[in-house]
Amino acid sequence: MDSVFFYRNSKPAGGEDGALQELKIALQPNVSVTGWPATAGSNALAGFTALQDATVVDRLRRAGASLCGYTVMSEFGFGLGGSSAGEAVRRKIADAELVVDMLGESRLAAARADACGFKPSYGLISRFGIIGLIPSMECPGIVSGNVRQIRGILEAVAGPDELDFSLPDEEPLDFSPQEIDPQKTTLGFVPELVGGLSGQQQNKFMSALEFLKKSGFKVRESRLPDFSRFALVHRIVGSVEASSCAGRYDSVRYGPRAVGAKNWNEMYILSRAIAFGSLVKSYLFQGAFFQFEKYEAYDNACRIRAGLLADMRQLHSEADFLVIPTAPGENLDAVSLEETYRMFDFMAFANVTGQPALYMPSVGGAGIQIVGPRRSDPDLLALGESILHAGRGGN
Amino acid sequence: MEFEAVIGLEIHVELNCATKMFCDCPNRPGDEPNVNTCPTCLWFPGAVPRLSSEALEKASLLCLALGGELQSRSAFDQKVYYYPDLPKGYQLSQAHLPLSRGGGIEVRDEKERIRRLRIHHIHMEEDVAKLVHEMEGRTPISLVDFNRAGAPLVEIVTEPDFRSPHEAMEFLKALRVQVRYAGASECSMENGTMRVDANISIRPAGTTAMNTKVEVKNMNSIRHVGDAIAYEIARQSASVQAGEDVVLHTRLWDPDRKVTLPMRAKFEGPCIPDPVVPLIELSEEWIEEMRARLPEMPAARASRFVEQYGLSGDEAAYLSSDPDLAGFFEALIGHGVAVRSGMHWLTTQLLPAVRDRQLELSNCRVTPERFAALLRMLEKEEINANAAREVLLQLFDGDAPPEEIVASRGFRQISDPTALASMVDKVIEDNPSAVADYRRGESKALGFLIGRVMQSSGGKANPKMIRGLLVKNLESGSRTAGA
Ligand SMILES: [Zn+2]
Repeated sequence: MDSVFFYRNSKPAGGEDGALQELKIALQPNVSVTGWPATAGSNALAGFTALQDATVVDRLRRAGASLCGYTVMSEFGFGLGGSSAGEAVRRKIADAELVVDMLGESRLAAARADACGFKPSYGLISRFGIIGLIPSMECPGIVSGNVRQIRGILEAVAGPDELDFSLPDEEPLDFSPQEIDPQKTTLGFVPELVGGLSGQQQNKFMSALEFLKKSGFKVRESRLPDFSRFALVHRIVGSVEASSCAGRYDSVRYGPRAVGAKNWNEMYILSRAIAFGSLVKSYLFQGAFFQFEKYEAYDNACRIRAGLLADMRQLHSEADFLVIPTAPGENLDAVSLEETYRMFDFMAFANVTGQPALYMPSVGGAGIQIVGPRRSDPDLLALGESILHAGRGGN
Repeated sequence: MEFEAVIGLEIHVELNCATKMFCDCPNRPGDEPNVNTCPTCLWFPGAVPRLSSEALEKASLLCLALGGELQSRSAFDQKVYYYPDLPKGYQLSQAHLPLSRGGGIEVRDEKERIRRLRIHHIHMEEDVAKLVHEMEGRTPISLVDFNRAGAPLVEIVTEPDFRSPHEAMEFLKALRVQVRYAGASECSMENGTMRVDANISIRPAGTTAMNTKVEVKNMNSIRHVGDAIAYEIARQSASVQAGEDVVLHTRLWDPDRKVTLPMRAKFEGPCIPDPVVPLIELSEEWIEEMRARLPEMPAARASRFVEQYGLSGDEAAYLSSDPDLAGFFEALIGHGVAVRSGMHWLTTQLLPAVRDRQLELSNCRVTPERFAALLRMLEKEEINANAAREVLLQLFDGDAPPEEIVASRGFRQISDPTALASMVDKVIEDNPSAVADYRRGESKALGFLIGRVMQSSGGKANPKMIRGLLVKNLESGSRTAGA
């Protein structure tokens, strides 16, 4: 075991043909590969070996990709504490890495690796075989050095799956390359967000906007006074879902069982005490609190979430895409819930709304996210390619 | 003070689907423990539940059969609690948006008045695993059998419309008939495919108060439901009269001691909308398609039986109370059996024989076709009733056509007048005193003489012809004697 990989595939050979031939892709151990130690970074699954291939794994293989192994991940992929996500791409050991994005992990891992990170639309990728934590928020994200590669990988893994009936019944998207005409493309930015940045970060973000204007895009203000509510809703709804989702780790059917319990209630308590780390524990406690003690707060959060979705649809009637700053704090190995959420302040909104979001490391010298309406993934990636192309052309 | 009871029922019905509700495992809870399991129903990480279309269809048929209104939108929630029989840490159930609302069943109360007992709603849910508690030496151990985990259930929640044990029992009987007709479940409390909890409170007769209720569980037959409710009404009345308050709690019916006993209630957790199983949206067309799939229901069938076959109301209601029985009857008629003899032989001969053998009408060797062939021979007087009863017993033991059994075992009725005449002559000759009795006007003697002829024919003589021949001979004989 090294600092990047938790498990190395000894036979990573890819397929003979296919769109992803010769592409080396790293996974995290919350993506099931038959026979691999899919522990999801948790002691709750210590020694667990996946019994089935996740649909994304099956599709990557069919497209000819070679799977190089599992990287070191945070517990259940919640936050990036202790995770090496993005590191394999930064060190060029892998061309791309799948990182499940529940708060913004794939985008923040990309920021750390100076790469691109993409969270697709909710419901676009099968979750069969993905060991998740927050079902309504999470989605496998893609970290890669370039957007075209992200498009290729997304095309290979996206679409209906008869093993995941939770996917909405929607037409598959068309990922063929397309031209973006900057003159006909309006990009919105949220002034309330810019106000929340440090002086230096503000300057960087403004220079990114300048760059986009220079590239010919129409740039306009899009007001979203309720932005702070995204994190709040995420925290309440996400923790409740996590509490339910982790209910299965009771040591009855699998997972480490503590010895010495006198009855099954004690067995639950002792086993769950050794199963989870402190960050996940505090998250599960918080979720259980809302489930059992403050259900009305959860109910309100669900209603507010619906309102935020409507706000976002309104914004997208004014601007085709939004440009959102990123401001990762210094402490990427956050240990508390507070710190973890603060780290993803500018990212978790896309998990609340299910929108696609693309992080790009260097647009006019700044790392920014661009965001489109749900299922605008092909257009958003085309926009990303066009911005990066303009960047290269401008140099 | 006079009290009246306010009773509502919660009825779990296990649907007879081929698979579980959210995976493809066989829905056979009784198999060897833990053979019908998979990563989904054991809730391994990465599993995604998939609602079975058969479960949705059978649940919908059940709702329609009970007069429920299928909802265009329904959804699953998570009923959260931690128990080893619950692989997810929650049970998928429909708490907020049930599959169906409303409905009800008409029953006759103790005074034969029609009462409509209303259903509040019907929702789908998955069953939990089965716990078995054993001792390993001196250590108590709990074993879990996950065969039942994820089996498809519906829960029928009634309005508190019931006022007596009788009404509850009549409701359950009628519900069972409706659900069996819909083909959704056997609805047997004895086999555990129907489980009933009763909520019971009392109030001064004639008032409309809704008082604290007590929930009673663990009844294993419709009879037990009636007994448990009756006991609980008496218990609550006595305690209120003694000045005690009724407290909200759960009690278990003890069928041996015929009492209800308090139990520690399972912790009732919250219900959270499930984020994974998609919203269920039913179109008008789909609902109509389901409605069209419902067969003719028992009430309609009974009135058709009266009209079409001239049966009495009671006969028609009896035959219609079981879809297999009604179907068998109609198949007999279809195979050319006369209505009266079909009805008579089916209910007095075949049904008791089927029950004796602990079989079901639907799975025994006596098919409508074979039974009809037998009855046609009887109607054509090729065999007599004695022989028909004998042959019927043999139909249970093999697959030979009844005609073949009649031929090979010599059951064919003797209807040859010459052969019968000589038997009759012999009997008259051998039984002079009975003959004398008859001629003195003792009609009983004729029966005796017919019996003797039947005996001498080995039971095969045509009884009608013997009677005719005997009467003719005795009458003419008496004339001769008198001359
Ligand atoms: Zn299963």
